[in-house]
Amino acid sequence: MKLYLALILLLPLMGGIFNALLGRTLPRRVGEVVACGVIWSAFACAALAFAGFNGPVRVEFGSWLAAFDFQAPIALYLDQLSLSLTLMITFVCGLIHLYSVGYMQDDPAHARYFALLNIFVFAMLMLVLAENLPLLYLGWEGVGFCSYALIGFWYTEEQNATAGRKAFITTRIGDTAFGIAIVWLYQLSGSVSITHLNTMGTLIPAAVVTTLGLLLLAGAAGKSAQLPLSVWLPDAMAGPTPVSAQIHAATMVTAGVYLLARMFPLIGGSGTVRAAIALTGGVTAFYAATCACCQRDLKRILAYSTISQIGYMVLGVGAGALTGAAFHLLTHAFFKALLFLGAGCIITALHHQQDIFRMGGLRAKLPAVYWPFLAGALCLAGFPLTGGFFSKDAILGGVAAQGGPLYGGLLLLGLITALLTSFYTFRMVFVVFHGGEEPHTTPLPKIMTLTLVPLALLGLCGGVLNLPSYLGHQGILDGFLGSIPGFGGGEKSSSGGEIVLQIVAAILSLTGLGLAWFRYTGSRRAEALAREEAGLPGAGFLLNGWRLDNLYGALIINPFKHLARFFWKQGDEAGIDGALDGLARLIARLGGLPADWSTGRVATSLFGLAGGVCVVLAYLVWVTLP
Amino acid sequence: MIVPLEHILILAGLLFFLGMGGLLAWRANLIMMLVCIEVMLNAVMLVFVGGSARWGSADGQLFAIFIMALTSAEVSLALAMVVYLHRRRKTVDTDQFSEMGG
Repeated sequence: MKLYLALILLLPLMGGIFNALLGRTLPRRVGEVVACGVIWSAFACAALAFAGFNGPVRVEFGSWLAAFDFQAPIALYLDQLSLSLTLMITFVCGLIHLYSVGYMQDDPAHARYFALLNIFVFAMLMLVLAENLPLLYLGWEGVGFCSYALIGFWYTEEQNATAGRKAFITTRIGDTAFGIAIVWLYQLSGSVSITHLNTMGTLIPAAVVTTLGLLLLAGAAGKSAQLPLSVWLPDAMAGPTPVSAQIHAATMVTAGVYLLARMFPLIGGSGTVRAAIALTGGVTAFYAATCACCQRDLKRILAYSTISQIGYMVLGVGAGALTGAAFHLLTHAFFKALLFLGAGCIITALHHQQDIFRMGGLRAKLPAVYWPFLAGALCLAGFPLTGGFFSKDAILGGVAAQGGPLYGGLLLLGLITALLTSFYTFRMVFVVFHGGEEPHTTPLPKIMTLTLVPLALLGLCGGVLNLPSYLGHQGILDGFLGSIPGFGGGEKSSSGGEIVLQIVAAILSLTGLGLAWFRYTGSRRAEALAREEAGLPGAGFLLNGWRLDNLYGALIINPFKHLARFFWKQGDEAGIDGALDGLARLIARLGGLPADWSTGRVATSLFGLAGGVCVVLAYLVWVTLP
Repeated sequence: MIVPLEHILILAGLLFFLGMGGLLAWRANLIMMLVCIEVMLNAVMLVFVGGSARWGSADGQLFAIFIMALTSAEVSLALAMVVYLHRRRKTVDTDQFSEMGG
């Protein structure tokens, strides 16, 4: 087990280092093979670890940080949650790597790309497997750095580099809160081990637990793009499409959900924290779904759908339905990776066209993309019997089981969001693939369309992982994850209630599909598109994500810029530079005074001599006179 | 000694400052400046000789003879330079020579 764990972590790291150091000098094919090979080898190791798994293990490799009684060894912790996430990450990232080979075949910077992609996977695995918080934070920051470098991968365009910086700085706000929480936890308990901290819940005062929970929530909100730190994710579309798939599906954004689920035994003790988590998730899910309804950029629709789906997961954590959240995390990873990779195919085929209003009629042209994409869309929309349907329902069931006005309201919000999700998903599908005239497309590399198939199958059949218990069996994930502290909790709704909820969710999903069908197919399509292009009332508000960027600009960025300008102009240039320049001018002027005497004329020297003689004489007279 | 030392010193002082005043005033003519320098040197020699007579020691007179020799050498060198400068610039006004200026 120790060997497997070491290999899971080290292989992607070695691959990344190999590509970073040698990738440019070796043939392209070598770098690609190494990059894909290490991820698939890591997947094989994860599968072997799964086969040999018989209970949580803690493996220590050596000392990392040790000062006085502060101990943060390089220790990994493999339990059911981290194992299932590791399997998912290595598998989905492996497919994304394969896809990247096709997608980046014309890009000259392949070495940098694959090196960063590999290290990204390494950082995410480190985050998932870490046994103590500093090690987790290392992976957390590694993910942040790699996302920054990959979002701004085509950095020669100012806009892309800005998007990378925005992602980095926005997540940094959350990271700071997380960092404070780590230090505080150490101060309280003298330990940073996650397993140890999770047993401390009852020993720490309730108010402190609440504050800690809110700090961790802020950290998770930054990484997982929840309100109010969600603004970076739509802009993160500036990177290459496989990178978007990796950030959005398998890694990075799920880190926040993972952190909250991991620390739930500690922070879940506080009702305020649970309510805050659930509220954040529910409102974010609704917020992003409304925004997605008005987007025109294919990748931005998917970006908002990611924020929305992560919102569901956070809502699930807040409701104590941790298994549901983890279930949705897994199915979401499959179908969102599928949707992004499909979107990458579409964009490549259409010569980097991302505006869905300029698309249409792709169903006949790209059947190899259409069918997997449709499968992903069905999952995202929660179409009955797909993976997304069951996982979303597990979360909503958990929320319903909590009861009370807050969770009741959130359940209603979640159901409205489900309707919106179905609507915008099929709006995207119908506008892109149906109707309109058939555009000219370029042929796609085979590998790009082939990678969609396994993801489509997993997305569609993901429900098998955790079928509802009223079917007679306990769900596989329920049984697998149930033994982890915190996961067994969460009240179970009655079978009857769950069936009612699933029927409602199914009706909502079909209603959304119907609305989209009614509006965007056949003869109404052209009219609807023309009206949306002209701008519906309120569309600008939704198109710009409730104008959060403008709000932050007015509240934070502009005052900061003005303050910075004040310090620059008044403080630095006028104050410090001015004082130094003035001093230099004064010295120069003082130096200029004797410089006037060096005229080179004999007379000046003579007058100086005579003056000196007079001074000496005057001194002597003054000394000798009584 | 008939003449007291104070008188000699007063005379030497007068001569010295006379020479110095001439040196400062007559900058337009290098030769006159050399003459003024001679006057100042002679004032110094007078002090040496007066001191020698006052204390009955030969050292002062020795110095006076040295200064005479030195002066003759100095004047011959200086006059040669004056001739050279006059050839170059057609003037002996010292204010015209300021190439050493910073």
